[in-house]
Amino acid sequence: MRRFGTGLTRRAPHSTRRRRFSTLMAGVGAALLALSACSAPAPAQQDFASWDQVVADAQGQTVRLWMYGGEEQGNAYVDKTLIPAAARLGVTLQRVPVADTKDALNRVLTEVQAGTRDGTVDLVWVNGDNFGTGQQAGAWSCGWTDLLPNMGLTNPADPLLANDFGTPVDGCEAPWHKAQFTIAYNSATVTDPPHTLAGLLDWAQEHPGRFTYPAPPDFTGSVFTREVLNSVSGGYQNVPLQYDQKAFDRLTPALYSRLKELAPALWRQGKTYPKTSAELNALYAGGQVDFTMTYGPAELTKLVADGTYPAATQVLTLTEGTVGNASFLAMPATSGHQAGAMVVANLALSPEQQAAKADSRVWGQFTVLDTAKLDPAQRALFAKLPQSPVVPSYEVLSQNASPELSAAWVPALDDAWRRLVLTGR
Amino acid sequence: MALTLPPEFSTPLSWPDQPGNGLRTSQGITRVLRIMLALALALWFLLPLVPLVLWAFADRWSFPAVLPQAWGWEGARAALAQGAIPAFGHSLLLGLLVSAIATPLGVLAARALAYHRVLFAPAVNVMLFAPLALPAFVAALGLNVLLLRLHVPPFAGVVLLLTVYALPYTSYVMRVAYGAHDLAVEEEARLLGASPWQVMWRVQLPLLAPALARAAFLAFLVGWSDYVITVLVGGGTIVTVPLLVAGAAAGTGNDATVALLSAAALLPPLVLLLGVGLLGRRPSGKPTAKSMNGNLP
Repeated sequence: MRRFGTGLTRRAPHSTRRRRFSTLMAGVGAALLALSACSAPAPAQQDFASWDQVVADAQGQTVRLWMYGGEEQGNAYVDKTLIPAAARLGVTLQRVPVADTKDALNRVLTEVQAGTRDGTVDLVWVNGDNFGTGQQAGAWSCGWTDLLPNMGLTNPADPLLANDFGTPVDGCEAPWHKAQFTIAYNSATVTDPPHTLAGLLDWAQEHPGRFTYPAPPDFTGSVFTREVLNSVSGGYQNVPLQYDQKAFDRLTPALYSRLKELAPALWRQGKTYPKTSAELNALYAGGQVDFTMTYGPAELTKLVADGTYPAATQVLTLTEGTVGNASFLAMPATSGHQAGAMVVANLALSPEQQAAKADSRVWGQFTVLDTAKLDPAQRALFAKLPQSPVVPSYEVLSQNASPELSAAWVPALDDAWRRLVLTGR
Repeated sequence: MALTLPPEFSTPLSWPDQPGNGLRTSQGITRVLRIMLALALALWFLLPLVPLVLWAFADRWSFPAVLPQAWGWEGARAALAQGAIPAFGHSLLLGLLVSAIATPLGVLAARALAYHRVLFAPAVNVMLFAPLALPAFVAALGLNVLLLRLHVPPFAGVVLLLTVYALPYTSYVMRVAYGAHDLAVEEEARLLGASPWQVMWRVQLPLLAPALARAAFLAFLVGWSDYVITVLVGGGTIVTVPLLVAGAAAGTGNDATVALLSAAALLPPLVLLLGVGLLGRRPSGKPTAKSMNGNLP
């Protein structure tokens, strides 16, 4: 590099300036240290005396609902149905699309750490380990769902609403919809569909290359291994919901030996697995495998209608049932618009919104409301919903439904799958 | 400078692109190879865009069909319904702001490092490059706590962090430019009576314009393509194109939407790149033989 010692460029060393600068830097450094060292104050938990007070406080608030943005119908439902309804109640609702619910949780965790009280995450569509992780970190506002008038339309004894993958809900999240793990198949190519999970695995072995499942820890692949665990254990009743090492050691050898035995008959001889459920769906859409699986059967109707999936797609109903769960709207403790968030959560629970959302042309999500508690007019809203040509009703799908194992089971099962099935061949 | 100085004054000067300059003219097989290489490169860049454009207007395209079975505007409709237009506005604003801040900062840093005595210059260099080594996710998670405590507005925080991530690019590009920049030209202008401002506007800026355009373009891309910082630090107050693309790409059956958004997201940088290409030309046009030989004895 050329250097030119001309008057144009030369600078006398500004010792005073430099000293001032270093003093400034030291000051900034100390301030930063102090800021990051001070412990975060506990996030404020707003107390409301009555629902009327909540509604009054909510007027004019802007509520940001963070949700997984991969479901076009879900986005459209919120944009076209929920947001206008919230506006009529005086609450501005905004949808924030994220690729993964963990992104929303991470934002909340930084807000909790910073002791924020006017956070920008007011509601999160969440369940399972994201809810559990947030609960451990004290990220959620709790005990507020009792105030919601529409909570009275749910069944308090419903196990799906009381526990979220083994974590007690404790009024930290308001139920939004129910889902049932569903296996779909192409009835044009599978003429002899099995009716049990064990039968499905046998079918896969008899038809090499026509079946596979996403590799755990993918959410859907992970659910599938738990379904196989229930099956090889002789039913979900034999698998304790709470994780313990003894049960794991007793029950899982049968699971992994069955999956290892199955592997050579899978798509590409089980040498590789779809990394995500989206990849499995793409294989199914392209006719490379005959089965796919999803925790959101809601989307099947639309995917068949728009031609993504084969027209002959049918849901495989298993006699022993499948695992079901509910998903929720959680309110972060750092939210600065808790009244508005509660108004939206209550609105989302209303029979009108639940029925609109259950329409398979809108989103097709199953309701969390207890039909026994609805009045005839409200029940009629659900009765007049069109039957999906692909997905049977929730009553059929959720027959013999099993609850989700506690979140502690999941990493243990996923890890052993990777060691024993993926690399242990 | 692209000019190669001749060994003595009696040798006539010639520009590389002037006819008759043997250095740049390839003949026979070399020429054929060169053209083929250029075509292969162009193909290499364009080929990945073909399925993208096909998908963008494919209402139905299932395996094993080679071409989409149904064409249409489903992808465009879905993209618009999900708020593509405001998202493009936000992305454009973010990219331009980051570019507008990171480019002058990069110029200042590069000029200081190139021409002035900088204390601990190697350490400063490392600091300028450090953001490249630090995953954005880690920085966003850690620094957002600090930004929240300082009550920095979310949008300002996003611009601030993205500017830091753009600095390595702008300062590096400008560093290289200043390395090749001949200060004697500026001095000569001063000797001829130009004021410091005139030197800056009439001499330095035109000479550095190509590098400035390159630096600004890279900084724009940092703001244009970010997901992690926009989500974590922006806190949902600003929804940009990468948020829409990442959200849609995480689902099934959104291929047309994702393809259309991605293809559309290529356009603004492409337009800017063309602008950079135009700015990257010699500012004064081709010198004539007369002007080059004018000062020969």
